[in-house]
Order: sequence, then structure tokens, then C-alpha cells
Amino acid sequence: MKPFTYLTPHTLDEAVSLYESHEGRAAYIAGGTDVLIKIKEEKIEPDYLISLAHIPVSEGVRFNEDTRALHISAFTTHRTLELSPLIRRDYPILHDAVKNIGSVQIRNTATIGGNLANAVPSADGAIPLITMDAVAHIYGTKGERTVDLIHFFLGPGQTVLEKGEILTEIVVPPAPARTGSAYIKFGRRKAMELPLLGVGMLLSLDADMTTCVKVRIGLGVAAPTPIRAYNAERFLKGREVTDATLAEAGQIAADEARVRDSIRGVAWYRRELVGVLVKRMGALCRKRITDEKSIS
Amino acid sequence: MNNLSVVGQRIPKLDAAEKATGRSRYIQDVTLPGMLYGKILYSKYAHARIVRIDTSRARKLEGVRAVLTGTDIPEIRMGVYKDNPPLKSGKVRSYRDEVAAVAAVDLKTAEEAIRLIEVTYEALPAVFDPETAMKKEAPLVHEAHKTNVLKMPWKLHYGDVEAARSEAAHIVEDRFSATWVTHCCLGTSGCIADFDHDNHLTVYSNTQIPSLAQKDFLGTLKALGLKDRRARVIKPCIGGGFGSKLDTYAYEHVAILLAFHARKPVKIQFDRKEEFIATSTRQPAIMNIVQGCDENGRLLFRDIRMILDNGAYTSWGATTPSVMMLPISSLYRVPNVRYEALCVYTNNTYAQAMRGYGNPQATFAIESAMDALAAKAGIDPVEFRRINANHGDEVTPQGFRITTCGLAGCIDKVAEALGGGKRKKGEGVGYASLVHVGGGARVYKSDGCGTLMKMNDYGQLDLFTGATDMGQGADTVIAQIVAEELGLHIEDIHVIHSDTDICPWDVGAHASRTTFVAGNSALGAARQLRSQIVKIASRVLDVDPQDIRLNDRMVISRQDPEKKIELGKLLRKSHFSPGGNMLMAEYFYDPDNENLGRDFKGNLSMTYTFGTHGARVRVDEETGKVEILRYVAAHDVGRAINPLLLEGQVYGGVMMGIGYALTEQVQLEKGEIMNPNFRDYKILTAKDTVPIAAPFLETTDAEGPYGAKGIGEPGCVPTAPAIANAIYDAVGVRIKDLPITPERVLAALKKKGGDDTCGIDPLTEKVYDCTS
Repeated sequence: MKPFTYLTPHTLDEAVSLYESHEGRAAYIAGGTDVLIKIKEEKIEPDYLISLAHIPVSEGVRFNEDTRALHISAFTTHRTLELSPLIRRDYPILHDAVKNIGSVQIRNTATIGGNLANAVPSADGAIPLITMDAVAHIYGTKGERTVDLIHFFLGPGQTVLEKGEILTEIVVPPAPARTGSAYIKFGRRKAMELPLLGVGMLLSLDADMTTCVKVRIGLGVAAPTPIRAYNAERFLKGREVTDATLAEAGQIAADEARVRDSIRGVAWYRRELVGVLVKRMGALCRKRITDEKSIS
Repeated sequence: MNNLSVVGQRIPKLDAAEKATGRSRYIQDVTLPGMLYGKILYSKYAHARIVRIDTSRARKLEGVRAVLTGTDIPEIRMGVYKDNPPLKSGKVRSYRDEVAAVAAVDLKTAEEAIRLIEVTYEALPAVFDPETAMKKEAPLVHEAHKTNVLKMPWKLHYGDVEAARSEAAHIVEDRFSATWVTHCCLGTSGCIADFDHDNHLTVYSNTQIPSLAQKDFLGTLKALGLKDRRARVIKPCIGGGFGSKLDTYAYEHVAILLAFHARKPVKIQFDRKEEFIATSTRQPAIMNIVQGCDENGRLLFRDIRMILDNGAYTSWGATTPSVMMLPISSLYRVPNVRYEALCVYTNNTYAQAMRGYGNPQATFAIESAMDALAAKAGIDPVEFRRINANHGDEVTPQGFRITTCGLAGCIDKVAEALGGGKRKKGEGVGYASLVHVGGGARVYKSDGCGTLMKMNDYGQLDLFTGATDMGQGADTVIAQIVAEELGLHIEDIHVIHSDTDICPWDVGAHASRTTFVAGNSALGAARQLRSQIVKIASRVLDVDPQDIRLNDRMVISRQDPEKKIELGKLLRKSHFSPGGNMLMAEYFYDPDNENLGRDFKGNLSMTYTFGTHGARVRVDEETGKVEILRYVAAHDVGRAINPLLLEGQVYGGVMMGIGYALTEQVQLEKGEIMNPNFRDYKILTAKDTVPIAAPFLETTDAEGPYGAKGIGEPGCVPTAPAIANAIYDAVGVRIKDLPITPERVLAALKKKGGDDTCGIDPLTEKVYDCTS
């Protein structure tokens, strides 16, 4: 492992300018659970690691009562998200995802922003967020900009982040009434696992509790980047949500998934899983809407 | 025998607190003054001619003290087949081939020096499949060997298999396969080699075979022209063995060679990736089995042929058929048996001993086929096993003298725990049994273990044993046996097993033999010590020697309990009187078992361990995922010296077995390991543990220390077939290849349903396109 100098800026501007002055030789580090492995495996060899851990930005989650949007600081650890009663109650899809990332030790350190910026096709954090139409807030030398999270990912390990830019916040817009959401990581073991396939789904029903008024289907490890199953979404929207239509939506999603063979799993099996798990997540969303209604 | 005060107690491992608080010293923690760091350069090809190695840049690097290649070292051949030099010259035969090595003042410099070595290769055609490697036109892995098939003919035949086959009412025939898995010891491998001024060698190493490693290292000294020098092996605390440390590895010999050249101690310490790539696996096997029974369900014959992928070199993996023969001939009563196994060179990694030593592979085939045969004969699988169960006081046709046998009791215990109850759709129950050596195993010229003891003036005992504690708790079990015999407390016994200069000879920590053999050895020494104590006490207390008992650190008359003396006081009296004496004892126990003969018959072990496992599973029919709801592992253990450690062995074995059954695989692609890390090698985590019950039967074997049998390996032996049989019971598909991945289950379900041919054919592994 190549040695590096560890820098600890205290403002975003300081971080960005440090990056600029060491351009090409620096990398940002937040939780470090991905960056340090890359350094150890000599995939990157930065001379400077610029820590984002000392910038006094609001770590954690905040619900804006005016806009009804959820603001998640990019520097929030998965463990904070997992233990947040707000996330657990109102954003179950995110709770489903973060509670099974790595181990407790990793979740105590790894951040949601790091999970997104690392941009592996298997990132568990990304799928719920694209499924909820989240927006990424990015800060760099040219100031702040926003990108819809679904357009944030360009390829494995590649994002729209320009050199020196920092992902600072993820904003989740409000969902309609009668919305349920769910995520499943399908893996071979229960911890320290990357998904063989990840499926997130968000479903909003009409007052009749049957007709789908909004649907989002997010797939992980089904393409080089997190994707949405647009054809399946189009099929389901406006239709009655039944076991049969969910199964069909699953089949459509399976057809549009761009799965491939890897040492972790074969394409045909991933495609099978897309069909089965979309169907199951749809049913779980529906159940969560019903349960929610019966509580309120 | 039932008035035991230490044996039978649930005593935590003596070193548990040391380990938990980080005080135990592993090889990672050991450094010597002036020590250099060694590093090995591995092959970039599965099979290639080495055209040229340029080490000049590495030699010039500041801080580098030695650089070696295969042409710089004397002739050293490792392994049972003597086909493996520690540094290769001429050609490489696998990705794990050691091509060059360096020693430098620090690890960073050593790594940099390795990068500076330039090797020019000329790739050769390679072979990765043993069946292909057997063909005439296949490339030869070792040209001088003339063929890829090893000259190790494993052939066992008794009775008349052909005649039995023609008489059988029901016959099943199938092909099973087991792939590479690896030990995953938490403590990675490492060693330090250190020469003194007179070229006597000390090696600090993680080894399960201190005495045989010492012999190997003496061989390397001899090759270096140091014929009369000494080799001392010191074991630091070992973080897991599971068979992986049953042979010496190239890195140990390389460290010796580097230390010899650099005139400084040299440490080679593996990281996790190196541990995956450069240590050995479990022996993979392709297994064809034919098995038949009569109308009443009595087994008539078993006919098994195996092809073993030997990899590029030969270690103990190639000798696993010797243990596979045990379940093949003697798991259940089988009058006619034929077995043949071929070991075939390929350009893959090579296998070693691993917990069970071939038994899990063979038992997977046998017990899967037992289930299939039961179904064919229309007999309940539990009943079918009862009909054929072994019993005590019988000799199996291979010559194994079964003394005590709790198999029938184990079957009952498991069936009772898992049978009955309502079964939901997709749920099923499966069973599988095991037989394993439980009283040593004479695979070497000696199956012995020595013990030395000395007792101080306060009744505290130092015990020097040949045994190796690698985490299994041998120290604790030995201490319990000795404490019981001498009426001491467990904390009065200090077990020292770390140093060949101090400890007597032992063949090694293998074959589940340590409790039995080292236990009997310690017991033998303790009895001598006891008789010395009794002799002195008889004089001092003026009572008959027969009348004396030792208990709770006291020496007491049975007849007149008022006549007693504290043990320490007695010893001081004896020591500090004219012509005084110290209490010391030595004992070498070599069991009266037999090496297998040329016909592979003989009583390998003094006693045999039996057990039955059962699993209740739920299969997700849409994803193929298998969930274990309940697991019961019943064993005939002779006697539980320490039920806490015994359960630990069973739990650990079962979890290892579940990984073998469902998730673990060293994935080789054209000889290259694709998953050398815990992210992609799916060893199960603490979160994956399942509810395991580990009931045991105590048959109190006459030969065992306090009646105990060995129990180190059995926990992982019948796990895979128990789970495979449960899957069959649940959803009607029989998976014949390990690991039983959801992909294989789903493909089999689709095939059975006839609705789709897409996916992997579980038999041929051929992948059918789902899009067409």
C-alpha cells in the first residue's frame, strides 16, 4: 500500500481548493470503506487523501415541513439512516436497503454519499434513492448544482461528478398519499454481502386502493449502473394492481434488464430474479399501503 | 467412572480470555531483532516455459538482502509425491507457482523488489479438467512423469460386486461432484526462519505437524549442505488449522533459503489474498456411484469410481481416497464393495488435507445415493438407514474393528427431533450419517504422541505434549484428563505444546486423533506420576497404596479419610528429605492400530466415531434459495471430556459443512482463482448461523481416555448430503454438484417442471440461453 498524506479541511471550499491544488494526486475520503480498499488493492494510488469528515455540515437526515422533502446529508452513515425512526417509518425502502449493507462495523463508518459516489452497480443505497426520484446536490469550484440521481451514474465507478466536485446532499421529494415502498437485496449470505440482484419499488395507489397512480422500479446489478425498469413502470401505471399484473410487470422488467454473467452470478438467473422480486416487492408495497391505512 | 470431577465439565478453553483480550501471540505478532521480510513472486500463467528471469533491478534496490530464483537453490522436493520444488525453474504449472523470492529490510522494499523482477514466459497449452487431462493428446503437466495420471492406484475390492449387482432388487447409479473449497483460517499463514552462528535453524511457523515439519526442514538443511545441523520448530498461537497446516508449504522452505543467504532471520507473512491463492484447498472429486439393495432394503453392494483433480503438484489431497474408503466400505453394512480412484494432474491449484479428509466428498455421494435407493425401494429413508446400520463388536470387510457404535441411537435421536410435525409446502427433512476414525489413524509409520511431565513442590504440573492446539482446545482437554487422574484442579496444569526442542514427538494434529492419542499419552504419564505419589503417600500416611485416592489437591485414605495430606505438602516432604526426589514422568502412546495394507485393508483406528445429521429446510421454489430451519447433529462421542468444547466442534463443523453444501467455492477460471477474498468467497458469517442442536451419545469406548472418541472432523462430514436430501424431500429435485446454489436448484426445478430449458443443466453445467 502506497503511503499518503491525510488532509483535514474544515469547509467545503477548503476541501475543493485542496483538491484543485493537488489535482490528479488527491482523492476524497468520507467513511473510507471503499477508498481504503481501492488503495490497498492498488486500484488508486493517491498522494493525498482529503477527508470530508471534519466539515461541519449537517450530518444526518432532516424533514422539511414546508416542502415535505427529505434532506439526507451525503455524509450520513448507513447506521444513522438505519436507526432513524423517520426513515424507518416513512421511507421503509431506504431502511430495507441500509440495514443490510456490509456489517454493523461497516455501517457505522460508511456514508450514503460514498456509496453513491463509488457508483458500483451493486450499490444498495442507490436503488431506493433513484426509486424515490431523489436529487443529488453537488458542490465544486463553480458552486452548487443539482442532478436527478437517476442521471448521476454513467457507468461502473463513473458518475457525473467533475474533478474535485463533492456530493453534499440527497433530497427526496414527497410521495403521493397511499404510497408504499420496499427494497430487497438478494444475496448468498446474510451479511458482508453484495447483492446478486437488488430490486426497489415504490407504488402509489388511487383512493380505490387498487389502481396504480405512480410506480417506480429500481434495479441494481441489472445493468452497468443502477437503472429503472421504465417499460414495467409504464405497464403498471393506470392499471389495477393485482398478483397477475405484478407478475407481468416483473416479466417486463426482466426483459428490459441488461443483466450479464459475472463470477457472482449468471445472467439468466439474474433475469429470473428480476421477474420474481419485482412481483414480490410490488406485493410488499401494496401490503405496506394497506397496513399503513389500517394504522391511520 | 461416574464420580468424575473435571472430566465431563463444561470448562471454557484455557486460552479463551487471552485470545479475547488480544494477548495471544500469533505469528503476526512475532518479530526478531534484525529480521528481514520475505516476499514471493508467483506465476502469471497457468502453464508456461520460463524463458528468462531478470532480477538485476531487484538486486540493486536499496534494502534488498537476498533474491532467489529456482536456479539459485538446491534440489528440494516437497510433498507426498516429491514433485514440488519451493521455487520453480524451467516452467510453471499453475498460477500459484513460486517463481522468485526476495528478502528485504522491510515489507515495502520487499514488495517493490518483487515488482522489479522481470520474468519472460512462453505460454504453453494448459489443461484444467481432469477428464480431459487423462486423454492421450492432453498437454503433460510434468513431462518427466510421462502421463498426467498419478501412479497412486487407489483400488479396494472385496466380495463380488458383479454378482451382487445381478442379484440386487433395486439399483441406483449416479454421478456427483465436489469442487474446491478452502479452510479460511482466521489467522493467515506465516513463518520466520532463523539460523544461529553455527547454522542451526529455528523456524517459527503455524503448523499442525511440528515433528514432521521438523523432518521436512532437516531435509532442506541437508540440501543446503548442512547435514548435521539442528532444526527447531516453534509454534506461535495458531489461528485455525482444519488440515491446511498438515504439510509444509513452499513459503516455509523459501524463508529458510532466504535466511540462509541473507544471514538474517526472514519472515514471510501471507495476506488474505495470498492465503487464498498460495495455500491449498479441499480435494475436488468427480464421483460415480452404483449402489444396490435387496427386496428388504439390505445393502448388497457399492461400486464407486472417482477422478480427482490433483492440480499441478501433489500434497495430501491425493491421499484422501485412503479415508474415503472408510465410508465407502463401512458406512452401513455393505458386503460387496469396489472402489477405484485416479488422481490426475492439471494446471489448477492443488489440494491438501481439510477437515474430514475426503470423507465429506465420499459421504455426499454415498448418502445422496442412499436416499435415492431408499426411494427406489419404497422404504422410508430413516428406516432404510436403520436396516443397514452398523453395530458394535463387528469387523467390517475392510478390516475395521468397530468396538462401540452408537449409529442406531444417533439415527433415532435425529429422527425424533426432526420427524413429525406439519410440513408446509416447500419444506423438507433430510438425513445423512457418518463414520470416521475416532481412535487415531495409522497413516504414517507411527501414530504416536509423547508426553513429559514434571510437578513442582506445590502440586503444579508442567505438561509437555507433542499435540498441537490450533484453536480446537487440545490443551484444555488434555489438562482435564490429567487433572482428573491426579486429583488436581484444571488451573494446576500448564500444557506446553509449542516447541520441538522441549516437546516430544507427535505425528500431527489430524484425523481427529488429538483427544484420543495425546489424551491417552497424557493419561499414561499421569498414571506414572500417580503411582509415584501413591508410593510416597503410602509411606508418609502409613496406608496401603490401594487405599489411596487423589482428590481436590489432597491425598486421602479411602478407609480412613482422616488420614490425608495436602499434595503440595507431601511433595515438599519428599523433595526436601535426604535422597529426595522430584516428580517427573514420560510416556509415549502409540495405538495398536494398523496401516492399510497393499489391499487397503487393516484396522486403521482404535475406534470409530459415528453420527447422524438431519436438516429441515425450506426451498423458495421461485428463486431456488434454500433456508435451513433446523439442524440436528447427533454423534457417538465415546465420552464428552468437555461438552462445551465438543458442542463448539460440532457447531463449527456444521457451519463449515453448510458452507460446503450451499455457498462456498474457490472459483477457478482457467486455473486462476477469481475470488481470493471474503467478499466473493462465500464463507458463512455469524449472521448466517442456523439453529443447531448437538445431542451426543456416550458409548464409553474401552480404548479412549475416559472412553472418549475423536470428534474434530465429523461435524462437517454428512452435512452436504443431509441438506441435499432435505431439498429432495422438499421439492423433489436432487442436486448432485456442490455447492447447491440457488441457480442449480432453480434450474433443476425448471427442468423437472418441464416448462423451460433455460439455465444451467445441473448435471452437465451446460448453460442454456434463456433468450432463445
